Amino acid sequence: MSPRLRIALLLAPALLVVGVFVVGGVLQAVLQSLGYAPVVGESRWTLDAYRRVVADPAVRASLLLTARVSLISTAAAAVLGTALALLVRRLGGRRRLAALFHGTLAVPHLVGALAIGLLLSPSGLLSRAAYRLGLVDSVQDVPALTQDAFGWGIIAEYTWKETPFVAVVALAALSRRVGDLEDVAATLGASRWQRLREVTLPVLAPPVAAASVLVLAFVTASYEVPRLLGRPYPATLSVEAFQRYRDIDLTSRPEAMALAVLIALLTTVAALVYLRLVGGLTRRSL
Amino acid sequence: MTRPARAAALTATLAATALLASACGGGPEEAVAVDTSDWDAVLAQAEGQSVDWYMYGGDQRLNDFVNGEVADRLAALGITLNQVKITDTAEAVNKVLGEQQAGRTSGGSVDAIWVNGENFATGVQADLWACGWTADLPNARYVDLDDPAVATDFGVPVEGCEAAWQQASSALVYDSAVLDEADVESVESLLAWTAREPGRFTHPAPPDFTGSMAVRTFLYDTLGAETVTAAAEDGGLDDAVYEQARDETFDRLVAASDGFWRGGETYPVSQEEVEKLYADGEISAFLTYGPGAVSSLVADGVFPGSTRETVLSVGNISNVSFVGVPANAEDRAGAMVLADVLQDPEVQLGLYEATGIFPVVDLDTLDPALAERFAAVDAGPSVLTPAELTADALPELDSATLARIEDDWRAQVLRGEE
Repeated sequence: MSPRLRIALLLAPALLVVGVFVVGGVLQAVLQSLGYAPVVGESRWTLDAYRRVVADPAVRASLLLTARVSLISTAAAAVLGTALALLVRRLGGRRRLAALFHGTLAVPHLVGALAIGLLLSPSGLLSRAAYRLGLVDSVQDVPALTQDAFGWGIIAEYTWKETPFVAVVALAALSRRVGDLEDVAATLGASRWQRLREVTLPVLAPPVAAASVLVLAFVTASYEVPRLLGRPYPATLSVEAFQRYRDIDLTSRPEAMALAVLIALLTTVAALVYLRLVGGLTRRSL
Repeated sequence: MTRPARAAALTATLAATALLASACGGGPEEAVAVDTSDWDAVLAQAEGQSVDWYMYGGDQRLNDFVNGEVADRLAALGITLNQVKITDTAEAVNKVLGEQQAGRTSGGSVDAIWVNGENFATGVQADLWACGWTADLPNARYVDLDDPAVATDFGVPVEGCEAAWQQASSALVYDSAVLDEADVESVESLLAWTAREPGRFTHPAPPDFTGSMAVRTFLYDTLGAETVTAAAEDGGLDDAVYEQARDETFDRLVAASDGFWRGGETYPVSQEEVEKLYADGEISAFLTYGPGAVSSLVADGVFPGSTRETVLSVGNISNVSFVGVPANAEDRAGAMVLADVLQDPEVQLGLYEATGIFPVVDLDTLDPALAERFAAVDAGPSVLTPAELTADALPELDSATLARIEDDWRAQVLRGEE
């Protein structure tokens, strides 16, 4: 038995499960979005669901919000995560700080969203503190940061949760070799700023970009955070999709599936960009 | 960090359930028939069964009661009760739908669902309920099966596809330290109060169940009780009547919503959020479907002691909720015994005492001593009695009208389209 075949066989059970659930699920969604509706007992192949979804003002508003929230959160997490990694390296004590990042990674987004709500809502910690300190005359005067029109609450949660993820990836990339390169640059007379721009950031760019694409894909499709911290309108795509999925009228299920397929397409595009960034699958492993 | 296939995973739940169901056997054989006319045979069949009851699990007192008294009574009959807590009844209906799509006509994992209204209609649409059994329950003699509230569920004829077990009645909950009795007299006076004291009233955005009721309350105020009652009997509203009332109501709401929480720019997504806003003191009044649960929240100090309840002059909206049994349920006999236990007058009294949930049994059919005990339950000053609450109860309209009201509200009030 060739080693390749052996590895393939060993991976088969896991791949089978992933294949059945993910591929099967996506396939079902695609079929139902195209009008396959055995439950209601009528199936005709049609693109109506997509037409209805694209024409829906709620979905149009949703696209804008989803793009805004996910791009800002991803950019913030990328910049802050990289800066944090560099800071941790400067301070030494990497292990303990890295453990702190891992701790944050372990917090579920659901809990994170509730925590952000307790912190930022008008009756939350921040506004009460501002009121106690006499910064505002009443709790009502604090600008709303949850259920707000822009989506600051959602952005805050994603940024807080994803920054450590980027930082962990960036820290891993900051190996001893990078330090050697920086030393070489220093001996050649590069200033601290030049070393950062010409050596450190180029080394960090690929892994941080890859991590960012992962973050972007996740944030685009996440449901619980915008559900807890966002508005019923405009709502993110995932919330709109799930709302249609739960609709009492089964005939709106194709629309839910059409939206889900759109989200899946968006995340797939993001994943493809990611794969290109990391230079395709490393073939050595298979 | 979850893998990017999250979106697919989210939407694949139904499909995955279906695939799993088909993978785990459950061939095309029919479910074991249950002949409910011979109740002793049903009890014998139910013995040793384990009933998976899917129900909204957000009410701790109700959960305690279900896992206490209800479970004990079933255990005495040799039945194990397994309460499956869900946040949304649609989840349970979706699960059964998934099994049905996978061709699983027997051995279904959902034995009973606490259901009513729109979710019941969804099940009827997909033909997934066991039907024609509820009149055979021994305790059904205490329930007025001809009462429109029990015979139809949001306009859908029940036809023995679900057994009644509790009654919900809407009410306005308010902080009497902030609002006077004159302010909570009618919809008109409430809206006038929001104009004077902006930011202290809101309701969830439909499709939330309670939010949908709040919007209907405003609409009914425009229509008038007579029109609503007639519409419920005729199975729907006349289009022209509806559209005129809708435009009038929503214009009124858009004008008044400047005085709502967040200036009416947005609405909470769920009733839980609204109640949290009230507990936090952000708002001072809200509409509820569970007026009986308020006394315990006051007792626990979650709500202020000055909390009171009232019914707006338009009357309130009342509906009954039920236990439905899917046709493919594995433990169908056990689920039907559960439905019977829930209609037992003693259990209904215990439920009312423990949770403040109104009984569905007709108090006139009860033994006088037991009826006396219902009357003796003291819920404290903040809560109205069932009699006070249901004096001007308005019926629920059909699901199609409900869905239309929700969609129109979302378009005209939430999105501000003309």
